[in-house]
Amino acid sequence: MINKDLSVEFLGVHFENPFCLSSSPVGNCYDMCKKAYDTGWGGVVFKTIGPKHFLIDEVSPRFDALTKEGTPFVGFKNMEQIAEHPLEENLADVKRLKEEYPNKVLIASIMGTNEEDWTELARLVEEAGADMIEMNLSCPQMTSHAMGSDVGSNPDLCRKYCAAVKRGSKLPMIAKMTPNIMDMVPVAKACLEGGADGISCINTIKSVVNVDLDRKIGLPIINGKSSISGYSGKAVKPVALRFIQQLRMGEGLHDLAISGIGGIETWEDAAEFILLGATTLQVTTAIMQYGYRVVEDMKNGLMHYMEEQGVDRLQDLVGLANANIIPAEELDRDYIVYPEINYDVCINCGRCYVSCYDGAHQAMEWDKENRKVRCNKEKCVGCHLCALVCPVKAISKGEVVLKPGRPGNPADKKV
Amino acid sequence: MTKKYAEEIEQAYTVITVMEEAQRCLLCHDAPCSESCPAGTDPGKFIRSVRFRNFKGAAETIRENNALGGICARVCPTERYCQKACSRCGIDRPIDIGGIQRFVTDFEARANMHILRKGEAIGKKIAVVGSGPSGLQAAASLLQMGYEVDIYDKNAKAGGYLRYGIPQYRLPNEVVDKEIEHIAELGAQFKLGVTVGKDVTMDELKAKYDAVLLAIGFSAPKVLPMFEGSEIVETAVSFLARVKESKGEVELPQNIVVIGGGDVAMDVVTTLKVLGVKNVTDVVYEEFHEFLASKKELRGAQELGVTIIDGYIPAEFADHTVTFKHRHIDSVLKIKTDKVILAVGQKAEAENLGVELVKNEVTFDGYKTPDAKVFVTGDIAHGDKTVVYAVRKGKEAAAAIHESLGGNK
Ligand SMILES: Cc1cc2nc3c(=O)[nH]c(=O)nc-3n(C[C@H](O)[C@H](O)[C@H](O)COP(=O)(O)OP(=O)(O)OC[C@H]3O[C@@H](n4cnc5c(N)ncnc54)[C@H](O)[C@@H]3O)c2cc1C
Ligand SMILES: Cc1cc2nc3c(=O)[nH]c(=O)nc-3n(C[C@H](O)[C@H](O)[C@H](O)COP(=O)(O)O)c2cc1C
Ligand code: SF4
Repeated sequence: MINKDLSVEFLGVHFENPFCLSSSPVGNCYDMCKKAYDTGWGGVVFKTIGPKHFLIDEVSPRFDALTKEGTPFVGFKNMEQIAEHPLEENLADVKRLKEEYPNKVLIASIMGTNEEDWTELARLVEEAGADMIEMNLSCPQMTSHAMGSDVGSNPDLCRKYCAAVKRGSKLPMIAKMTPNIMDMVPVAKACLEGGADGISCINTIKSVVNVDLDRKIGLPIINGKSSISGYSGKAVKPVALRFIQQLRMGEGLHDLAISGIGGIETWEDAAEFILLGATTLQVTTAIMQYGYRVVEDMKNGLMHYMEEQGVDRLQDLVGLANANIIPAEELDRDYIVYPEINYDVCINCGRCYVSCYDGAHQAMEWDKENRKVRCNKEKCVGCHLCALVCPVKAISKGEVVLKPGRPGNPADKKV
Repeated sequence: MTKKYAEEIEQAYTVITVMEEAQRCLLCHDAPCSESCPAGTDPGKFIRSVRFRNFKGAAETIRENNALGGICARVCPTERYCQKACSRCGIDRPIDIGGIQRFVTDFEARANMHILRKGEAIGKKIAVVGSGPSGLQAAASLLQMGYEVDIYDKNAKAGGYLRYGIPQYRLPNEVVDKEIEHIAELGAQFKLGVTVGKDVTMDELKAKYDAVLLAIGFSAPKVLPMFEGSEIVETAVSFLARVKESKGEVELPQNIVVIGGGDVAMDVVTTLKVLGVKNVTDVVYEEFHEFLASKKELRGAQELGVTIIDGYIPAEFADHTVTFKHRHIDSVLKIKTDKVILAVGQKAEAENLGVELVKNEVTFDGYKTPDAKVFVTGDIAHGDKTVVYAVRKGKEAAAAIHESLGGNK
C-alpha cells in the first residue's frame, strides 16, 4: 500500500493530512469526532458553537436531496442551524478530544450575535484547548438576521466581528464565507483587516431543491410550509472552486490561506481544491451520505496522485492551477480544434448527431443506412458538445486549424 | 476458429461501465461480500475505492489480499462465494464483483503498478513443491514475510492448472504470466522440469530448506480401465493442456465423445465447439438434477450445440464404439466415434513425497504434517477445490510455516 506524507502546515498548525470534517452534524459531539479521528481524518471543525442566550430550536424533518437518474445525491439541502448541544457540553467535548488526540487538529467553529458574544466564545474555545477558530459568518438559515450569511455579506460587520474574536483569543483564525454574494473579495479583505488569518470557503448556497407537486410546497415540508435554505454536496463544487479562484486572484491575495469546502467526495475533488489554492479541505455531505470511511480513498488516491506527479510535499501542489484560469477576454480565440471520431470505438448510437443538430451547429451528419456519423468541417465550430455526450468516449480533439487571417502555428496550440 | 479460442469470452468493463456497476453497489456496512470471499480479497473495500474513483487504491486492496487477484477475477465461481452473499440480491441481482475485479487488475497492469513488497530478509529458506495457485500464493506470502522461496515444478512452465487446465478463453496465459511475474519480482526462484520424489528427493529438500510445502494438486488424470492404452482416447487435462499450449492450433476429428459431467468436462466440450468440432456428444453419469457442473457452464455448452446425455455409464469399448448403459432404466446407447475424451476426474500423485493421502486428501485438518518440516496446501489439503480456496490455503499455510519457524521472534 502506498504511503506518502500528506501533512500540511496551515497557519502555523500541523495537520497530519488536509482532510477535516466541516462544521456540521458530522462533528457534533465527542463520539463522532473520535470515530472520525480513528478513521483517519486529520482534523475536525466542530459543529458551530453559539452563545448561551441564543436558543436553538430545529425543525423536523430538515433535509432534502436533488437526484438525477441513478445518482442519489446530486446536491443536498439542509435547514439546520448551529449546535443543539448546550455550550458547556460542547466545550467539554472539545477539551476531552484535544486531551485524547493531541496530534489531531481541532478547530472550533463559533458564531455570536454581537461583539461581546464573539469575544467571549473565542476566549472559551481557546480555554477548552482548540487549535484554531473558524468564524461562521455564513449559515444561510439562521432565525436571526444578526447571525449567519446576512452578516457574512456585510464587510463592515465582518471586520468588526473578526476584531472582536481576536480580542478574545490569540489562536489562528479563519473566517467562513457565504457563497450567497456576487463578489467574495471585499468581504474576505474586510475579514483579514479585522484580524482573520485565513478564509474557509464555501458554506451552503441558498436554495429550493424540490417542490411537492400535489401539495405545492417546497421540500422538506414542515407543517405545510418550507423555507429557502442551504445547498451542499457535489453540485456545489463548481461554485466553491470559482470562489476560491476569485479569492486567490484578488489583489494582494495570491497567497491567501484557504480551507476549501463544497462537494468534496473523491481524491480528485480534493486535488482540484488544492490546485486552486486550498491547503486544507473540509467535508460534510459526502460523510452524511457515505460515512467517515470516504476519507480512506481520498487519502490513498491523493497519495497516488502525488506519486504520479512526482511530488513529495502536498503543499507543493497548492495553487498550481491558479495561473491557468484567466479572464475570458484573455483566452486565445484564433483557432478551432475539430472533433476526431474513432470509428473502432464508436457504437453508432447517434447521440453526437442529435446533440450537434439540436444543441450546436448541425455539423454531424448521419448516414441512416449504415448508422454512421461524419463531421462536416464546413459547419463544425469545434465546440466539442459531441465529445461530451458520447457514451464511449470515441470523440477526441483532432485537427487544429487557424481561423482565417489569424497569426500563429496550429502545432503550437496546447489544445 | 483459434481466434475465438484465444479471445476472452467475457467482455471487459470500461471506465464508464465499471462506474455504473460500482454505483449499483450499496456500500454495505460490514460488507457480506467481503466476509464471503474465501481468500479475503475484500470486495466491499475495493468496490468502494472504484466508486470513489480510486482505481489504484482498489488495485492495492486486491493485490495485497490476493496475489492472484487477476486470475480469481476470471475463474472464481463468484455465484458460490461473494456474489451469493451480496445484499443487492435482495433488490435485483448481485454486483458483478468478478467483473469489477477484472477491471481493476487490468487497470493495475496498464498502469504498470508493482504493489507487492519483498519482506526484510530473515535468513530462512522454503521449498514449495508445485506452482499451482496454492504454491504461488504461499510463495508470495512467504516472500513478503522475508523468506527466500524456491518453487519446484515438474512441468516446463509454472502455473499448474491455471496454465495447463483452464482454457484460454476463460483465463489467458498472458494473465497467468503477469501474476507469476509479480511473484518472481519478489525473488521467487523457479526450478522447472524437476519432479520432486524422482529428480530430487524429499530428504534432499529437507536438508537444504527450513521447510518444504507440498502444493502438488491433483496432477494426474483418472482413466477408466476399459479405455487404457487406446490410441483414440485422451484425458481431459492432457487435451486441455495441449490446446492451451498450442493456442488452439490442434487437429481434431469431427465426431468426438466426451465422458464426464463436471466443470472440467464442460471446459472440454466448450473448447471442442469453439474449435469448430461438428459433433460433440457428452455422456454423463449424473442425471441433470444432480449435475456437478455449474449451471452457467452447462448452459454455455448447450448454447454452443453440445449434445448432452445424462444418466449413462460406459460399459464397453471396442472398435471405436462406446456402449453405455443407463443407470436406472433398461437402455443401451452405442456411439461410434473418432475420439474419446475422458473427463472423469483428477487425482493426486504423491509418490516418494512421504505424505499419506486418502481419497486424494491428507488425513488431517490444517497444513502441518506429522513431519515438522513438511507442510501441505492446495487441493490436497481439506477444503474446496477451487482456485480461490487454493489462494486461501496458500496464505494460511504460509502463516503456519511462519509460526512453526518462530514467527517474528
Ligand atoms: C480443467 C480445469 C478447470 C478448472 N476450472 C476452475 C475454475 O474455473 N475455477 C476454479 O476455482 N477452479 C477451477 N479448477 C480447479 C483448480 O484449478 C484447482 O482447484 C487448483 O488449480 C488447485 O491448485 P493447487 O495449487 O492445489 O494445484 P495445481 O493447480 O493442481 O498445481 C499443482 C502443481 O504441482 C505440480 N506437481 C505435482 N507433483 C509434483 C512433484 N512431485 N514435483 C514437482 N511438481 C509437482 C504440478 O505439475 C502442478 O503444476 C479447474 C481445474 C481443472 C483441471
Ligand atoms: C446539515 C448541515 C449542517 C451544517 N451546519 C453548519 C454549521 O453549523 N456551521 C457551519 O459553518 N457550516 C455548516 N454547514 C455547512 C458545511 O460545513 C459545509 O460548508 C457545506 O455543507 C459544504 O460542504 P459539503 O459539500 O462537503 O457538504 C452545514 C451543512 C449541512 C449539510
Ligand atoms: S454485498 Fe454487494 S452491495 Fe454489499 S458491499 Fe458487497 S458488492 Fe456491494
